[in-house]
Amino acid sequence: MAVQEWRLLLTGDMSAFDNMALDEAVLRCVVAGASPSTLRFYGWKPSAVSIGYFQGIEQEVDLDMCREKGVDVIRRLTGGGAVFHEHGSEITYSLAVKDDYPGIPKKVLDSYTLLCGGLVAGFRRLGLDAEFKPINDILVNGKKISGNAQTRRFGGILQHGTLLCDVNPPLMFSLLKVPNEKIRDKLIAGVEERVTSIRREMGTVDNAAVIEAMCAGFAEILDIRLSLGTVSDEELALLERVKEERYANPTWTYKR
Amino acid sequence: MPTQPGPISADYKAVGGKLLRVRMTVTEDSPPVIQALRITGDFFMHPEEAIEDLEQLLTGVSLDEAALRARVRAFFDEDVQVVGADVDDFVTALLKAA
Repeated sequence: MAVQEWRLLLTGDMSAFDNMALDEAVLRCVVAGASPSTLRFYGWKPSAVSIGYFQGIEQEVDLDMCREKGVDVIRRLTGGGAVFHEHGSEITYSLAVKDDYPGIPKKVLDSYTLLCGGLVAGFRRLGLDAEFKPINDILVNGKKISGNAQTRRFGGILQHGTLLCDVNPPLMFSLLKVPNEKIRDKLIAGVEERVTSIRREMGTVDNAAVIEAMCAGFAEILDIRLSLGTVSDEELALLERVKEERYANPTWTYKR
Repeated sequence: MPTQPGPISADYKAVGGKLLRVRMTVTEDSPPVIQALRITGDFFMHPEEAIEDLEQLLTGVSLDEAALRARVRAFFDEDVQVVGADVDDFVTALLKAA
């Protein structure tokens, strides 16, 4: 098969609501054939907690603390766990393709293996000893550096995930609920032990270099060529619509 | 605000998988019958909205292992992909709450 042309979007820092709405808007436009298959990189401003589609918001998130610290709270379209997206400490990616895209397995678990392979290849290009750890994690030197989540809907596949640049477990656990206060310190220590970051592994974080490596990783495993593009007017209009209907709507956020 | 079907609840972490959190109200019968149910957690289900079908399917069912397993299995046999938990994990989580 000939090399496929994909669009690369670099949308910088946006709010959680705009970020999640744009992921959905791009997916819908890709499925409709109005946009090419897309790989996007972005950041979060202000910091936000996202929870998985199936999670109970009050079970997982200390809503008062988030309000106090100016941290937005959002429910994702994808399953998986609660994530603290700290401004400046994470590079997030999303990938949107039609669900019949050649070579992407129908089985979700298998498709994580394939798509996370692009990130593994990217981390290796940065000189890091990365591996995919099922179900949906990527480890460097045995510690988690990336979590990923996927949804399949509207006739497409959306996978998004985190590339951790810095970790701040005490702040993270001040925003997330813990089963009881006595084990808070233990949980923090556990994350310090099991989770790593690009800064810890490389001593420094060069966002542009990380994104370039990840693009090369995806290009390698998917046999694609990425061209820098822009968000279309149609996607911008859809962003506003799904933000209002879903991501910035308490009925959605508090539905479970 | 999210509904919190309580007061019976349990958390169960699937081995090598994800966390299932079950909250429910049940009748006084023996075995008790599920009146309202919410299953939350960090698992994956495709399509996502199917979780509501599963909760619906289990409402009115006795907290009896065979009855629960039959319903959960029937759900898994439909056109749904669950990642991070299997039939046994859901049954175990439900019984743990009982």
